[in-house]
Amino acid sequence: MADLIQLLTNGLALGSVYALAAIGFVIVYSATGVVNFAAGQFVMVGTFAGVAMLLNAELPMPVGYTAALVVMALFGALFYLVVYLPLRRSPIVTVIIGTVAIGITLQNTALLTFGSWPFRLPSPFEGMMVEVAGAVISVHALAVVAATAVMILLLWLLLHRTAVGIAMRAVAQDVKAARLMGLRVQWLLAFSWILGAVLAGVAGLMLGPMWFADVNMGDPIALKAFAATVIGGFGSLPGAIAGGFFVGLAEVLGASYISSAYKDLIAFGVMILFLLVRPQGIFGEPIQDRG
Amino acid sequence: MLTTRRTLLSLTLGTAVGAALRPAFAAGEPIAIGAAIPTTGPLSLSGKQYFNTLTMAEEDINKAGGINGRPIKFVFEDAGASNSTAVSAFVKLVQETKPPFVFLSSYSTQNLATAPEVTKAKIPVMYAGGADAVADSSGGWMFRIRPTDSLAARGMAQFVRTLKATKPGIMYIQNDFGQGGAQAAAKLLEANGMAPVGSEAYGQNDKDFSAQLLRLRQKGADVILTFVYPADGALLLRQIKALGLKMPVVASSGSFLPASVQLLSPSDLDNVWGVIDTFVDPSVGGRMADFTTRYKAKFGQDGDAYGLAYYDGALILAEGLKTVGTDPEKLRSFIASQKSWDGIGQTYSFDDKGNGVPGVVVVKAKPGTKTLELVERIRPA
Repeated sequence: MADLIQLLTNGLALGSVYALAAIGFVIVYSATGVVNFAAGQFVMVGTFAGVAMLLNAELPMPVGYTAALVVMALFGALFYLVVYLPLRRSPIVTVIIGTVAIGITLQNTALLTFGSWPFRLPSPFEGMMVEVAGAVISVHALAVVAATAVMILLLWLLLHRTAVGIAMRAVAQDVKAARLMGLRVQWLLAFSWILGAVLAGVAGLMLGPMWFADVNMGDPIALKAFAATVIGGFGSLPGAIAGGFFVGLAEVLGASYISSAYKDLIAFGVMILFLLVRPQGIFGEPIQDRG
Repeated sequence: MLTTRRTLLSLTLGTAVGAALRPAFAAGEPIAIGAAIPTTGPLSLSGKQYFNTLTMAEEDINKAGGINGRPIKFVFEDAGASNSTAVSAFVKLVQETKPPFVFLSSYSTQNLATAPEVTKAKIPVMYAGGADAVADSSGGWMFRIRPTDSLAARGMAQFVRTLKATKPGIMYIQNDFGQGGAQAAAKLLEANGMAPVGSEAYGQNDKDFSAQLLRLRQKGADVILTFVYPADGALLLRQIKALGLKMPVVASSGSFLPASVQLLSPSDLDNVWGVIDTFVDPSVGGRMADFTTRYKAKFGQDGDAYGLAYYDGALILAEGLKTVGTDPEKLRSFIASQKSWDGIGQTYSFDDKGNGVPGVVVVKAKPGTKTLELVERIRPA
């Protein structure tokens, strides 16, 4: 029982990070139609924004975290201006390849800036453990699950209870109609990139103390977040959340109860199964052209 | 005209005086040596060390007069993080630079992929990956400057006996290095009457090891042997402590590189032993102290045993070039004939498979600190 509690906590903490990265994926995809293959590198940039603020600038934690998220918001805006805007009228494949290229550029820029040695990003709950029914659980892992729940709640409130959020959903549904209704579509698209980047930043800051800050950390996250998005349903926020938790739990429980050698096969096997049987995922609607 | 003659005379005189006063700096056409090592991507964590130590060796060799007066010049190609990139890097060096010698990666999967090209090119190479299989496919052209995985595994199995553990569990990275090391260790432990209670794998991109570690605990492991890469080795040690596991850990060399140790706190290293190539510490004194001090001053980081192996390798090569010239066949014979080459990190003795390192050392952090101390030297029979 103790082992199961420990595994579930670790799986949920891992799933939380995948879920946040997947939400960032979905927000950008819903608003712009771009599958951002640099999403994993966005998380890496978030972690290194934390390294710059907390380790290099030695800012106190609340200030450092805030500064890192501001950096991520600016990064999202810059990405919109420098990558998305110039490419927005290009074929969608060009934009997607553009995100791949930018992902590689980001990774190598981080390598040149921060070097190849990983960093240990501090946690506000450094070294804190609790014992639940014989299981030793890291407080940081519990905090990651709680913070993800809060982020999801805030995101839901933003999208359903604020004018900006409702406008974003309108743009996601039909760009032309939204423009005809007088919505400032370009600003809303920019805001989608900013929001995606900030969510990736939150994921990166939470991940840093769990995994170490490593310039190569983005690729595995992107793969798992992509699997989570496909399983949950491309374009669906509840799907991204469910998919993220599914992949996290499948990874940890699969390694424990089936085989550590084939644990990735479980998540990616399920993804392939969904692509074959139900390509719209758990929560997605049947695929149709965007308006 | 007069001015021109005077200028020429002054220049000639100046050059002659300059040359006479200069120490033994090398001049003339450089001897290009290839180095296909990972300088970008996930493997660059250790690849950067090789780049640094080879650069340092180049400067040192040239300052000391080069190769019989000619400077040596390392030409680097990025081996990246895939086998195909490593093979391409080697082939590009061979075709474009045409070097008499090449340094390869320390990642066995890359070296296994490159081995057929080495045999085809008939150029001697040095590499640092531990998988025994590389030596089998080397065709006599590949020389290993780090311990083989089976040697490290023998050292680990031997040290498990010192710890008086009886139920070892093994954790390994799922690739040629990890699988090879884990299999060799399992075989040796079994032969010593300590059959492993479990053997768990993880992928190169994995970051959560809780499932594997808890399985080893469930199976009653009283010591964990790890075959890991540097960053995940550190992460693994942290997660062992985070899960409250109390058994001792005997870790492979990756966990004890400076890049890994800087990620750990002293408590993470409590009850952890490292079976590593050599003890790289200024306290050793002599040439080791000189190397570690100069490396830190030059690159702002601590040098490690992997990088030191490449530095030593470059010095062996330099001696070979001085003695037999740039003919690849003669260079190969020269290196193969070295049976007690006194390097900084090791006394290199190349066997008929090209393996040059005959022993390993056990280290441990001093209690409450991250300062490593030498526990014992193991030279398995």
